[in-house]
Amino acid sequence: MISLWRWGTPCLLVIVIAAMGQQHGAQSRKPASAAPTGERRVTFTRDIAPIVFQQCAPCHRPGEAGPFPLLTYQDVKKHAQQIAVVTHDRIMPPWLPEPGKFPFADEMRLSAAQIALILKWVEQGAVEGNPAELPARPHFVQGWQLGQPDIVLTAEKPFILPASGDDRYWNFIFRVPIDSTRWVKAVEIRPGDRRLVHHANVLVDRMESARRMEKEPGAGFGGMEIKVVSEVFDPDSHFLFWKPGTVPYTYPDGMALRLDKGTDLVLNTHLQPSGKPEVIQPSLGLHFTDKPATVHPMLLQLENDTKLDIPPGAKNFLVTDSFTLPVDVDLLAIYPHAHYLGKDLQALAALPNGAKEALIHIPHWNLNWQAVYRYKQPVFLPKGTVITMRYVYDNSEDNIANPNSPPIRVRGGNRARDEMAHLWLQVLPKHFPAGQGDPRMVLQEALARHNVEKNPADFEAHYNLGAMLQAKGDLKDATGQYNAALQIRPDDATVNNALGGVMLARGELDEAIPHLEAALKTQPDYFDAHYNLGNALASQGNFAAAVEQFQAAVRINPEDADAEANLGSALAETGRLGEAKMHFERALKINPNHALARENLQQLQQ
Amino acid sequence: MRGQRGICGVLLSLIAAMIFAVLDPGSLCAQTAFDLEGRPTDPLAQAAGRITVLVFVRTDCPISNRYAPTIQKLSAEYAGRVAFWLVYPDKAETATSIRKYLQDYGYRLPALRDPQRALVKSSHAEITPEVAVFEQKHELVYHGRIDNWYEGFSRPRGAPTTHELDDAIQAALSGRRPAVASAAAVGCYISDLE
Repeated sequence: MISLWRWGTPCLLVIVIAAMGQQHGAQSRKPASAAPTGERRVTFTRDIAPIVFQQCAPCHRPGEAGPFPLLTYQDVKKHAQQIAVVTHDRIMPPWLPEPGKFPFADEMRLSAAQIALILKWVEQGAVEGNPAELPARPHFVQGWQLGQPDIVLTAEKPFILPASGDDRYWNFIFRVPIDSTRWVKAVEIRPGDRRLVHHANVLVDRMESARRMEKEPGAGFGGMEIKVVSEVFDPDSHFLFWKPGTVPYTYPDGMALRLDKGTDLVLNTHLQPSGKPEVIQPSLGLHFTDKPATVHPMLLQLENDTKLDIPPGAKNFLVTDSFTLPVDVDLLAIYPHAHYLGKDLQALAALPNGAKEALIHIPHWNLNWQAVYRYKQPVFLPKGTVITMRYVYDNSEDNIANPNSPPIRVRGGNRARDEMAHLWLQVLPKHFPAGQGDPRMVLQEALARHNVEKNPADFEAHYNLGAMLQAKGDLKDATGQYNAALQIRPDDATVNNALGGVMLARGELDEAIPHLEAALKTQPDYFDAHYNLGNALASQGNFAAAVEQFQAAVRINPEDADAEANLGSALAETGRLGEAKMHFERALKINPNHALARENLQQLQQ
Repeated sequence: MRGQRGICGVLLSLIAAMIFAVLDPGSLCAQTAFDLEGRPTDPLAQAAGRITVLVFVRTDCPISNRYAPTIQKLSAEYAGRVAFWLVYPDKAETATSIRKYLQDYGYRLPALRDPQRALVKSSHAEITPEVAVFEQKHELVYHGRIDNWYEGFSRPRGAPTTHELDDAIQAALSGRRPAVASAAAVGCYISDLE
């Protein structure tokens, strides 16, 4: 009986291993036990512990994302076959990209030899070995990984995650309590219970735009994809991302994130029910630096959501977008994003010298393990490089992540059940020689033009290009783009205000006023439109009407020195000197260096 | 009870050293599961003439944990007609840790410890979570996954599309054999446990 067992084992093993190679994901092939056949036996203490301590324990320890600890022989033995399967199938450690020409920082990838060793250990009975050979237990920093932050922000209200049901996407808004501009070199994200949070993303909301989504202040709001309104030209574009195992990233000197008074940080989380109700209350640790940003990375977005109209059953639905770099850049990090139907995600670079390189290739997309990938070394991409996003989607029954059974037609959109085709690249444009302009403006304009060409019926594409051209001072072309946007949405307050603003700048007051009035008809509490209309009326000499507009503006935003100063000026023009004085003083209280308010006040006092 | 278990253990280890290939340990000392008070308990004997479902679970198995609401809901749907038991095959789980777990996960089911793997063997259980369905006469008619929610580790469907446990219970209730007698489960291997 014993000899039969021994003869039988090697055959069984061959079959088992072959099956593992063929079936992806199926679980019909747990490793079989085997007696050692003369060669050195693989032991936990000598062979396996070094792998587990380095690759698994950082997450698989109390308080971290791993659902069970892997710190001792007993811990690992209790999941030995499971570990053999998940490492073999490269489910663990969770790392989606294939190895490529441009390696990523903090790669969580086992070597083929390490995987084979784990399998052999389990086949040989998962023995402990000589305790004297056990390496030292890994040392982990407790608490904040970068030390005590300068400010710790905690979500005002927790989110209660139900025991079961679909994955949930919840957004927490953190109001940053600073009085003046600060520079942030690192944001450490503590997403609450790490076992439940699949990933978390911080968005910088400079316009308090996300607050409108909250039912009550501090409550947070649901939604997988959120959009924050940004300035026309935001020079600080940073990825602030957390996934299990993330080491908080500290930006080098000169690349800090700018935080102004009134800036909100919005934490977008992906939560997975655990089987029992859970309380999620994340916090953020901000680490400041006194070194302001001197170089400014930008986020480039390739996307093609309008082409996402995937018929049910389609197994290889292809969506692409290509963008030609108008300037030299260093590529710092990359973030591919699709939802549940994503299958094979690639970003390619075709260089001007004819070379083609994969910037990233994820052959088996899994939304649950999405991440921002930072390159070990910046990847130089010269002007003329064509960056292509090439995403393949599977809307068949074969895609087990498909949220619809049977499959249904799926289109692009923001809900989890819609699909997305986004590729974000964080790039550092190379400086132009002095006097030749800002490469970031060139890049943003090219991107905005690309979006208009791709989606001529897209309101935002025209609006953004218009805003870009206006910022550059090209008022004529800006007007053209704004008018194209207006054709798509004639009542839109933002574009009417923008057109009014451009007309005002061009001195075409009669054209400006109807657009500003239209903006206020759609959105009566629109500060910018009241302010612009006040200026337009004042320029026409209609100071009484201008006073009304500036009064409305300061009611909406009592903290704006310009509006206070202009209100003072308009009041002075109508002879209401006492009130004028009060508003100049208010402007100076908000901004003691407000030159116009100071000069006018002095004139009044003479 | 403790004394009795201790004796079995000692006998087994002595004999196993000499004649392990010949004797089936089960014939030497009847194996049993225990309730949380430590009393030997045979769930089938407790439910004469009723369909019995054993659900093999672990407190440290995430897939097993995520199934808690499904298991609780199914057991509530069949309350009075089908006897559900949670079975913990891990020797290291204590009555205290199991009680806390039942409370955390909102379980209202009786729980058994199965350190000798008596129920694991009679149910052919290999994975947590996995179920065994015994019909009214206590013949095993289905064992395996609860449904096909998980295709593999880290590969859950949006929602399961087949419901093997529910189907097996329905069949047993109407006196039929389930169409599927077993289906491989996804989760943690019982054989990894001591």
